[in-house]
Amino acid sequence: MEKFSPVGEKDVTRAIVTEFARQFEEYVESDCIIIGAGPSGLMAGRNLAKAGKKVLIVERNNYLGGGFWIGGYLMNKVTVRRPAERVLDELGIPYKEVSAGLLVADGPHACSKLIASACDSGVKFANMTAFDDLVLKEDARVCGAVINWTPISALPREITCVDPVAIESEIMIDATGHDAQVVKKLEERGLIKTKGFGAMWVERSEDLVVEHTGEVHPGLIVTGMAVSTTYGLPRMGPTFGAMLLSGEVAADVALEKLG
Amino acid sequence: MKVGRIEKIFLYNEGAPEELNIEQIAEYLRKKLGKVQVRVRGNPFAFCPEKSSGYARKLASIKIQDASRTIASKNEPLYGEIEYEKRRILGKKRSFGILYDGFHLHKIFNEILPREERSLEFVHILFTSRLFATWDDGDKRYHLRTSVYGIPSIISTTGLVEAPAKPGEYYLLKQHYQRLKKDVTELKDRFKGRFIDYEDKRLTKIVKGYAMQAVLNSLTGDPFCEDKGCRLYNAHWQDELIFAQLESKYEFCGWHRSILDSFRRK
Repeated sequence: MEKFSPVGEKDVTRAIVTEFARQFEEYVESDCIIIGAGPSGLMAGRNLAKAGKKVLIVERNNYLGGGFWIGGYLMNKVTVRRPAERVLDELGIPYKEVSAGLLVADGPHACSKLIASACDSGVKFANMTAFDDLVLKEDARVCGAVINWTPISALPREITCVDPVAIESEIMIDATGHDAQVVKKLEERGLIKTKGFGAMWVERSEDLVVEHTGEVHPGLIVTGMAVSTTYGLPRMGPTFGAMLLSGEVAADVALEKLG
Repeated sequence: MKVGRIEKIFLYNEGAPEELNIEQIAEYLRKKLGKVQVRVRGNPFAFCPEKSSGYARKLASIKIQDASRTIASKNEPLYGEIEYEKRRILGKKRSFGILYDGFHLHKIFNEILPREERSLEFVHILFTSRLFATWDDGDKRYHLRTSVYGIPSIISTTGLVEAPAKPGEYYLLKQHYQRLKKDVTELKDRFKGRFIDYEDKRLTKIVKGYAMQAVLNSLTGDPFCEDKGCRLYNAHWQDELIFAQLESKYEFCGWHRSILDSFRRK
């Protein structure tokens, strides 16, 4: 029978703390901070990291992947329309064509492959971490994020005087879905006015989300469903093609900005 | 009836889908109208490429966000919206799905036409995939349109799909599908042929009738006919549209045939 190495509790703790602190210290400054580890954020992070950029994805939940684990009605099949199967092929996700141009894949398989690909490319994650605010510098350029542990937000402010910390990057990407949390912070400061999403029009909304992906404010790129909220585009149904392709576009725009 | 004079007809392609054959429409108009010159001009924004940023801003500011509210007079567009419109104007993208205020859209397209051709003798027909709606003060909401007639006349290929109502049972099932978060596009197979769809092979044939509505608007001041079998019928339902444009035994009613005959004899 194989035996586990004799390691004490203190060694386990030391390993966790040391490695976490080392990575945290390293990623206090990165090329790109992405808020949200859903399909568009993961895709953007993966492509940026593949291009050699230092990428940190901040995710408020413990798990990564956002809504990509399940499709509509809590059913774990995810749909993608052509031409987004190109990404499925690239990630090695099996799928089948259920009707002309409509493909279906297993949510867990698709999501885990995308997460693995992002990790393999070198993306680092700060999960259980909530985006709290923006760091703005000259000319209101977005230069970073103020973050805190997710559980802090669930406790009464009177008893949790836990100040957040700031991390910096050259570019930030808002991949927070319908909430468009980062863009909303700009809106609170009167720097932008979002439009809120329109009525559901699945057939056309995917093209528009990809088309509108880009820099929304100096230093801030918007991707995925946050695009829809920012520009008031039609809402999308449970189909993920635009999320993947929007993530690709966000990475391209970021790479152009990062030089 | 006294009919107007038409000197030239210009056809424009403002991001119309590939399945729309504008040359065929030009040929059809030549056949129906005799000696009138019909020219295909391409992208209307090509008249003023230096003003594309200005028009992009104007287009971005006439988007309808809520069908029950008129657009704000000083709707400040976002940078990304203007950039999208720029790409659209330059013909780099054909994606669509944004809803515009038809009245303001018409005003913009009117501005880009050469000033010396902005009169009734010149018929400008602009084919676009942009979707537009006009505000109705009666029920205080926007209504989707297939076309608006004037200088220029604008015919929306997206409007032909979205504006005339589909069969009632389609909407009931669509609601059901949406509640279940099922893919609504599956429904299209069940209703195939009963409404005009995107990438529909019948599109060019249908649009010929709408181009004639634009011509009749210039000739008589009224683009429409009350006869459901006439191509000038203002269809509010998809089955009416299909009947008037594709299935009716005659193209034009007697009255409109006589108008076209007298115009050709002139």
